[in-house]
Amino acid sequence: MKLRQLKAVAQPLGFILPCMIMLGLFVYYPLVQNFIFSSFRFSAFSPEKIFIGFENYKTLFTDEIVVTALRNNIRYAVVSVLIQVCFGLVLAAILEDRVFRRFAPLFRTTFFLPVVISVSVVCLLFGFVYNPIDGLLNKFLELIGLGSLARPWLGSGKTAIWATIAVSQWHSTGYIMMLFIVAIQKIPEELYEAAEIDGAGKLRQFFVITLPQVKEMFFVSSVITVTGSFMVFNEPYILTKGGGPGTSSITIGVHMYQSGFFKDMMGYASTLAVVIFLISAFFAVIQMTAFKSGED
Amino acid sequence: MTFANIRTYRRDSFTPVHYLVFLMLCIGFILVAYPLFWILMSSLKTTEEISLSIWALPTKLQWKNYANAWNKGISQYFVNSMLVTTSTIIGVIIVSSLCAYGLSRYRGRWINVMLVVVMGGMMLNPQVCLIPLYGLLTRLGIRNTYLALIIPYMAFRLPLNTLLIRSFFLSVPKEIEESATLDGCGGFQVYWRIFLPMSRPILLTSAILTAYYAWNEFLFAIIFIDSTKYRTIPAGLMSFRDALQVDWGPLLAGMAISAIPIMIFFISVQKYFIRGMMAGSVKG
Amino acid sequence: MFKKIVAITIMMAVLVSFAAATGSSEQQAAASGKTTIRFFHRWPMEPRFSYFNQIVAEFEARNPDIKIEMDSVENDAYKEKIRVLISSNDVPDVFVSWSDSFAFNLVKSGKVRTLNDMLEKDKAFANSFIKSQIGPFTFGGITYGIPLTIDGKVLVYNKALWTQAGITKEPKTFDELLVILDTLKTKGHAVPILEGLSNAWAISHYQGTMLQRYLPAAVLARDYAEATGEFTHPGYKVVLERFQKLVDYMGPNATSLTHTEVRNQFIAGKLPMMYMQLAEFAYIQASATKPDFGYFNFPAFSDGQGDPGLLTGAPEGFMMSNTSKNPEAAERFFKFLLSKENAYKFVKDVGAPVAVLGAVTNENSYPALMDAITLINNVSGSAPWFDNAVNIKVADAFMRGSQAVASKDKTVDQVVADIQAAAKVVKSEATK
Repeated sequence: MKLRQLKAVAQPLGFILPCMIMLGLFVYYPLVQNFIFSSFRFSAFSPEKIFIGFENYKTLFTDEIVVTALRNNIRYAVVSVLIQVCFGLVLAAILEDRVFRRFAPLFRTTFFLPVVISVSVVCLLFGFVYNPIDGLLNKFLELIGLGSLARPWLGSGKTAIWATIAVSQWHSTGYIMMLFIVAIQKIPEELYEAAEIDGAGKLRQFFVITLPQVKEMFFVSSVITVTGSFMVFNEPYILTKGGGPGTSSITIGVHMYQSGFFKDMMGYASTLAVVIFLISAFFAVIQMTAFKSGED
Repeated sequence: MTFANIRTYRRDSFTPVHYLVFLMLCIGFILVAYPLFWILMSSLKTTEEISLSIWALPTKLQWKNYANAWNKGISQYFVNSMLVTTSTIIGVIIVSSLCAYGLSRYRGRWINVMLVVVMGGMMLNPQVCLIPLYGLLTRLGIRNTYLALIIPYMAFRLPLNTLLIRSFFLSVPKEIEESATLDGCGGFQVYWRIFLPMSRPILLTSAILTAYYAWNEFLFAIIFIDSTKYRTIPAGLMSFRDALQVDWGPLLAGMAISAIPIMIFFISVQKYFIRGMMAGSVKG
Repeated sequence: MFKKIVAITIMMAVLVSFAAATGSSEQQAAASGKTTIRFFHRWPMEPRFSYFNQIVAEFEARNPDIKIEMDSVENDAYKEKIRVLISSNDVPDVFVSWSDSFAFNLVKSGKVRTLNDMLEKDKAFANSFIKSQIGPFTFGGITYGIPLTIDGKVLVYNKALWTQAGITKEPKTFDELLVILDTLKTKGHAVPILEGLSNAWAISHYQGTMLQRYLPAAVLARDYAEATGEFTHPGYKVVLERFQKLVDYMGPNATSLTHTEVRNQFIAGKLPMMYMQLAEFAYIQASATKPDFGYFNFPAFSDGQGDPGLLTGAPEGFMMSNTSKNPEAAERFFKFLLSKENAYKFVKDVGAPVAVLGAVTNENSYPALMDAITLINNVSGSAPWFDNAVNIKVADAFMRGSQAVASKDKTVDQVVADIQAAAKVVKSEATK
């Protein structure tokens, strides 16, 4: 009896344990540790940690870079929702329209291509695009007679962040577009046929049928995009060498990295990680609760 | 039927608005495709040609850029990326399918708790764990080895893949399992002989999703690996750029080498990839 | 199908364990009866990368009982990694270090081997270096490192472009420099001087020199020390303003260029002037265009209080671990790296000046390099690189701040305030 009970527990445990150990050790343990670290001061190369209570959190509220970084993250989020989600949806709707069906596979595949390329290739590429002297963008502007618009895109505090954001749009719009394409393909064809018989135009069909039918996907992809916008690290790290000029294009992720690994403030970096955690947890909760309602 | 066809034909012909939209699509096409084409084209030019005549086609194809890039480090990064990616895929598939089986085939309060643990893991952003992980990997003595990437990659990919495989396992009819049990198969044998072979499509999706992640991951790759010897392609390209000192030809060749195989691969498995993306987005 | 999967799994497991094992190749070496020496340097880029590969191969050929395990990461990463390694118990047997405060910080860990005994025993080795260049590796009378390279930062100019503009005399003061820049500007050079300001370290090189020229040495000594640094002297603002003046000559693109891109412009003969390291002369020498160039030490400020005779730049050399398992083999490799024979090859292959006496000759170098050695030997002393001299938080405030000033996103006053705030944090942490 005892043995059978034991076996009943042990068997599922045997399957689940490897996963739990890995999650525990490399995901949850670091998460907990991060909270503890955030009340210490230490550097990567000294074993001693000095307990400083909420000192790091106080610094957080006086740190101007945090404000700049969060502002940039919000800019990222707004632009990304507008372009990746809204424009991505329009793009998907166009490509799924019967009129363009003949060309759709070509456009679809092309727009999706950047998604599969690694971010460092994309950023190096845009390094060439934005290069002030030999860059594709400035040379193109000269070519079409708009030379006066040419500028050092990544070298000015006014344009650097927008130039960086633009790269992400180029990279990721195809991803969201593809999600919408799949969602639109699931819409029953009869709905459109019925609308057509009723004499509804393409625009009306989009608002009356497509939009309500992909509502859920719209919501999900918005949340994904916004969450992603608060985690941006790669683009400013590579393109503007860590958020330059000055700190004008810094994001919260880059600020964390630099505080920890460049300025030797591992404790403060952990505090910034807590901020990132809170933001992503907030959006995760939104998504989960919304999903509960969507699941019915 | 015929009538319907005629009507469709009429409606499908291009109106001026359609031409406008089509024009916009073409502009978008150029915006996306030209930079990619430019990488390819410029990777066959000399550095002087690239900076002096940025739009022109190469006068003489500089295949030596590719040889140069390959010999100066890309080959090593390529091998490292292959090694890290395959190891991660295999690790993720084994561990998460085991866990998914346990979670889908057994009942109990503990199972539910563990399911929540797995789901919670999916909500967690890797950046949050960066600093403690750095310390942990150092203490385990595996920082700056392949394991410093493989293990965290696995850990952060387990939740998604476990849930993905679990939802497939849940759809397997009870009868199949019961008949196997009657044949005298134990829990592990049912998993190994019946569930795994049945779920090949979902495992494939899982593998492709994991490959996408591991091949492109950047943050861990630059922080947990110090030496050029163990760098994967995304991080390696950065040191490659520094090492070359604006020798653009080979740099562009290196970019092409790292982008083309993965582009071809993902285009050829598009179906599975998109299915995985959907699952990933809807569930997480 | 499943046999295949199993086979692949096993294969991968073998591969992974092999991958893990390469991390601890000491065991491998022990199995083959070889001694392993771990060597860590900071030049994964050409031509130095190939040079060190060749040197290591040569050493292994001559010492079949020793295996060198070499690893390298680039500049900024190296600064971080070597300090992490030093603090762990994983110190490489032989490694690269900058001099002065960077070296001192490593020495403070207590894991750097003292070299006095070795130098005492091997007089010939001890006397094979430019004496003054060992000083920056000596703390409290104890020597911890031996320099391989020596360096200095000078303003270089394209002789042809200067002649075209009618400039004949090198400037002695900062004001004379500005006059020259103005002349170049009126003669059609919209950008008479340029620096890749997107590289933070390039900014720090300018500022280190300008601070040293302008402020009294005593003030700098106090402010550069973590426990006493305040940066409240009004001179900091003056220096930042003069830096801004220079930046105004650099045009709008400076903040989006890298130092290397700027150097390439100079080499292409498109740029009249830039601030360059002596070690970079090799790139001009190796180029197809080979512009004829002259150079001079950064000019003095007429109202400056620092020694204008100092040359910014510091030697860079090697250190050994005192926890090495094979100190004897490490020492053999250490001496091999610094031998005259290899220094000669270094000059020939890399084209940078070295601290080894007699290693730079007419045969393996070029006139500009011979000149550079003379310059280094004749200046009244050297000033360390700024980003090595101060705490990184202060250096960061300086570098990022100046970048923002250059891109017109911040004012000098804001930057000075940021620097003082950073210094306050550093001070409070150092005195706690």
